[in-house]
Amino acid sequence: MTERKSPTAVLHEGPRALTDAQVREIEESDLQGVLDVDIDDVIEYVHKDLKSLPDFTTLYRKYLKQRWDVYDLDFTQDKIDWNEKMTADERESFIAISSGFHHGERQVEIELPVFMIGASEEEKLHIAAQIEDEARHTVFFDRFYREVVGMEGDDIMSVLDASFPWVSETFVGPFGLLAYQADELRQNPYDERARVRYGTNYFLWIEGVLALSVMKVTLSYARWRGFLPAYYTGFTATCRDESRHVQGGMKYLQDAVRKDPSMINEIHDTLRTILSLAGVASRRIYFEPLGWTEDEVTMLFFQQLRRKLNDVGIDLAPDLEEMLQFVQPQLAGG
Amino acid sequence: MTETKFFSPEWADAVRAALIAGPSAEAKEGKLQEYWDFYDMIKSLYPASWALGCRSLPAELGKGPAYLFVSWGGGTVTECRIIGPDDPLDATYVLKMDYADWKALYDGYDAQRTVMYRKILLEDGKLLEFFKTIYFFVESLAIIGRVPAAYPELALR
Repeated sequence: MTERKSPTAVLHEGPRALTDAQVREIEESDLQGVLDVDIDDVIEYVHKDLKSLPDFTTLYRKYLKQRWDVYDLDFTQDKIDWNEKMTADERESFIAISSGFHHGERQVEIELPVFMIGASEEEKLHIAAQIEDEARHTVFFDRFYREVVGMEGDDIMSVLDASFPWVSETFVGPFGLLAYQADELRQNPYDERARVRYGTNYFLWIEGVLALSVMKVTLSYARWRGFLPAYYTGFTATCRDESRHVQGGMKYLQDAVRKDPSMINEIHDTLRTILSLAGVASRRIYFEPLGWTEDEVTMLFFQQLRRKLNDVGIDLAPDLEEMLQFVQPQLAGG
Repeated sequence: MTETKFFSPEWADAVRAALIAGPSAEAKEGKLQEYWDFYDMIKSLYPASWALGCRSLPAELGKGPAYLFVSWGGGTVTECRIIGPDDPLDATYVLKMDYADWKALYDGYDAQRTVMYRKILLEDGKLLEFFKTIYFFVESLAIIGRVPAAYPELALR
């Protein structure tokens, strides 16, 4: 966290190439070294391989090198920053955003196993690794809420219960859909069309658009203010994990459409449902204390979605293009 | 005066009145007007029906399986009644939930997590269509769950 550039400094620049040294730093940093990795570089890194997606075995091998121990993080300084340095407005905005992630990580952890049943053997390795990643991310937020925010609870669910009042009513849109899609797969795990619909919601929308956008908002704030070093370290490492998840998910969708071009209809139908819900907000979140405006967050959402679709080669139907005009930021991810 | 029993015809009548009346001022508090405008817009156009089932219904409330059938049209509830095990089940969306979770909803558990944690599940119907109006369904489920009724304790198993 040596740089102090503003949270939105990179937003208006558009896609940029990473140097070999930057890629090496992202891929090879141990947990302690992640503190010095720039979150904007990690977000860029997510897109680096989208045009020529790595195979699932390569992603699994990356996982083995990049996994980190969530219990190695020391939140002592974060607690001081939270209680003594951050303003009440900053804390309120931060928790309004991060609570969607607290619950989102739990949801993407528990809804993923059923998707593995119908996957290829190589993809199963990658999904098994992803489930472990998501479990670790769930513990990361559990620790953050207990040790920094100061929420108490006897177990993981009671801490989730404590942060639930900050979760927006619209959270049930993508995450409730994911729960029901997982149940659909539980009943018929080899239904390829149901798997593509599930993958569109999970990998393209929740991980590729929502998660990366929210990560960038809170992490660029922490970097800008020089606060919350353990949060920055753990969540940036989480973002590096997400790069593998998004790449694996986009590979799955790309392969499915190449094998059967009519699968694009399943992607479009799923996006139709998601976008019909994404135009509504139930709460007003103030991004300004974290250095963002609502328009900038909306722009970030568009950028994340457009880049995934363009890089993977998925075109949108005209009615979906129109629906995109009404999308509002959803403050959650997984 | 005898208290209305859960999943009785009288309870279904009270549910109908509550759904037509819509969310209370307390429920509306803290949520943006645009969210409620969306809810009202869906309510005015909603053309579908729900069969909301209850698993493990206590014997004193009737023999299961039983469903609360709610049909919508013209911005209001056109039908709201209990469907017994011998009646035909014909609804756009069929969902089911354990008796204990119905009771938890009545006791104050929130409707959003009732859906998100799969306490209530879609058993029949088009999933993507159902979710296009999920906010309307969740708010309606919250209304249904709070309608006063007698919920007998389940016998220990």
